[in-house]
Formats: sequence, structure tokens, C-alpha cells
Amino acid sequence: MLVAVYTLAAFSWTMPAVLFPPKAAIDGIVTRPFLLLGLWQAWDMFSPDPRTDDICVEMRYTDSDGSVDRRMLTDMVAMGYFERWQKDRWRKYFNDHLRLDVEHQLWQPFAEYAVRRLRMEGHDPVSIELVRWWRPSQPAVRPELRADVRLTPWNSYPFHRWGVPREWGR
Amino acid sequence: MKSPWDMIAGAAVAFDRWVKDPVDPRPLAWFRCWFGLLSLVNLWLLWPDMSMWLSNDGVLPPNVHRDMVSGTRLSVFMLTGYSDMAIGLIRGLSLVGGLGLVLGVFPRCAAACVWLAAVSYAWRNMDILHSGDNLIRIGAFFLIFARSDGALSLSRGVSRWLFPRAAPDPVTPYEPVPAWPQRILQLQLCIIYLAAGIWKTMGPTWRNGTAVGLVLQLGEFQRFPIPDFFLTPLMSQVFTYGTLAFELGFPVLIWIPRLRLPVLLAGLAFHAGLDWVMNVQLFQWQITAYYLLWLKPRRS
Repeated sequence: MLVAVYTLAAFSWTMPAVLFPPKAAIDGIVTRPFLLLGLWQAWDMFSPDPRTDDICVEMRYTDSDGSVDRRMLTDMVAMGYFERWQKDRWRKYFNDHLRLDVEHQLWQPFAEYAVRRLRMEGHDPVSIELVRWWRPSQPAVRPELRADVRLTPWNSYPFHRWGVPREWGR
Repeated sequence: MKSPWDMIAGAAVAFDRWVKDPVDPRPLAWFRCWFGLLSLVNLWLLWPDMSMWLSNDGVLPPNVHRDMVSGTRLSVFMLTGYSDMAIGLIRGLSLVGGLGLVLGVFPRCAAACVWLAAVSYAWRNMDILHSGDNLIRIGAFFLIFARSDGALSLSRGVSRWLFPRAAPDPVTPYEPVPAWPQRILQLQLCIIYLAAGIWKTMGPTWRNGTAVGLVLQLGEFQRFPIPDFFLTPLMSQVFTYGTLAFELGFPVLIWIPRLRLPVLLAGLAFHAGLDWVMNVQLFQWQITAYYLLWLKPRRS
């Protein structure tokens, strides 16, 4: 009985609502236990369609001496094989969440975290800028359109700026 | 001629037996060992960034996190509150739990440790989770209820060495264990593929055969080099429709005993290929642990 109930619950949880009409009713019952016990799940990677843009997130900062430096947070192609593997969660956090306007509540906390980290490294940042980079992927499929060799120009947009108050965090 | 009602009743009885009849303990033990090892690798990969993702001075301070979570979820943060001490607890639980699963020492407690650690970091920062985390939480949860130390268990080995049985039974050296946790995880694997396949059929690029080609061209998922001929419209169609066929076919074909091994081997090749071309950390490895549950051990 338990096996059948769990199977039905997990099946309902993972199905698109349009294809499984009882989903709303079943999910209504199982949401609390699934969330409580960590059994929630989603298996919809690259669906219904994969992303069609190459994406990166960059953090720029201006030091108190006027110098500007930049750090690409999720330029996976530029990373070594091990680093990009270890930093897969960076891609999840920065590309799939922090970059988005609907998740703007993440921007200022990250800027503040960046200032704390930079100060630990001996810098004295007076401003932080978060920049999203993107370029469209082509609808065609050809070897020369691979991200590491494609010549399509990148677009960028600074989506968050913070002038760090002199006394902040000291 | 059987009526539809008889057929349904027969299927229900067969399902009931499949779930209730005790099983050879070895597949669960293999699952436990491989799953535990991968949980340790997951900890190793997560460890350097834990304070960034999970601490109060990290990217998600408590005042922001509080507004993002809904519903009650069990986690170590219920005990510690928003405290960085929780990071130490998560590390300790993952380490002890992972080692316990690999070695088969108090495997139920070990599974509970891995599960509690996984639900805890999932609760504290949901934006860093990937599909492999789902596999860890679900697998560890059901291992809590499984008798997975029927084989490949250090504590069992030690106990046998200290208290040898007078005459080991040559016919059944492995005592059968309750099947239902193994059955749930087997069905979970079918649900994973079925859901993944169904979601994909809703996308135009999966239907026109360009989806895999587009993914292979994206920089954020690039891993090891691939031959140029993979990035052609023809190969994209082969890979795209092949993916759909595999994901929709697995949950059906795996039930046919004669096809089980070829299906599992095809799955291994599928995930090995994905792991080569795509950078998605541990998912391709973790799902192979669930494959072990479908193997039928030889009688010793």
C-alpha cells in the first residue's frame, strides 16, 4: 500500500498539470509530507526546451585607489575541467537565479558578501556592480557554433550597482 | 478467456507479491555502498563553498532566506536556528553517514545522517540544488527503512568473525530482507525517466530534433571535447530522438526480464555519454546507484 501510494504521489508531483488532471488534488495532499521529509523532486532539466542563450554573470568592483577589477563568476568554458565540475552549483546559483529580475532580492546580499570577501583579500572596494552577459545561441546545429569557438558577440547589462558606504561593515 | 477484471486482480496480486516477498540482500547492499561513496564525493565538492552558500554571512542571509522559504521542512536548522554551527553539523553528518553507508556500519543511522544533512543544505539554500540532490535525499530516506547490511557490511563481517555460526547454510548464505524499500527506489527510477521524457515531449526543439544539438552548443554545460560530426543536424536528431526513446522506453522495457540487462547497459552508455559531454556534476553517477537495485545476483 505504502509503495503504491508513494509511487502515485511521486508520479503526480513530477508530471505536468496539463497531462495529469488529478495532479492538483494529489499534490494538495502530499505537498506537506513531501516538503517535510525532503521527498520533493523535479526531473525537467532541459525541458520543455533547453535554453537558447549562453549566459555568464560578472562581478566588477572599484577599489578605493580607483582601480577597477572584474571577476567572471560563471564563465564555465574558461575554467579548467575540475573547476567547472566543482563549481556546477555556482552555475545553478548565479545563472539560474541571481541573474534574474524576479530574484532581485538576491542581488544586494551577494554584493555585500562580495565586499566582505574582497576586504578579506586585502582590497577596499568602494563600489560593486553585477553584470549579466548573454549571447544568443543559433537555431542551427554546426560545429563552428559551439560556445568555445563561436564568434557571436556578447551583450552585457549591469543589473545591480552598490556604492559601498565607507563605514559599512567595519 | 480472462475478463479485464480478472487481469487487473491478477496484476494487483503480482504487484503485492513483488513488493512483499523478501529479496536477496545484495542489490540493496551494492546500492548502499555506491550511494554512500557518491554522497562522500558530493560532500567533498560542496565543502569549499559551504560557508558561501549556507552561512549567515554568505550569499543568503537569514532575513532574505526567511522570505523565500515556505512550509515546514525537517533540518538541523530546526535545532540550531540560523547558526553557522549548522555547517559543521552538516559536514559531520555527511561524513559519518557516508562512511557508514560505504562500510555498512549502522547503515540505517548512517542513512539518516546523510538524509538529514541533505535536507538541511537543501532547506538553507534551494538555489544551489541540482537533480543529484534529489537522488541523495530520496535514496537516503528510504535506506533508513531498508535492511541494507545483509551483505558487504563491515559490522556484519566482524560479528560473524567473532561469533561464527556452527554450520553456515551453504544454500542460502544471504538471509532475504524485506523488499519494499528496494521496490520504492526501483519505481522511483522509472518515475525519473518517465517524467523527464514526458516533459521533453512538450518542447518544440525536442520534437524537431534540435534540442541536444542546442545543448551541446551552450557554453555553460560544456565539458570534454567532442568530435565535430556530433554537431550536425543529423546527429542532433539521432541524439534527441534517442534520448526521448530511452527515457520513455526505460520505464516499460525494464520490466521485461530478458530485456533488463540490455536496458541497463544502454542506460549506462547513455549516462556515460552525458557525463562526457555535459558538466552536470554528479547526477550521471548517482543514478547508476539506482541501477544496481535492478540486478539479479547469481545464487552463490
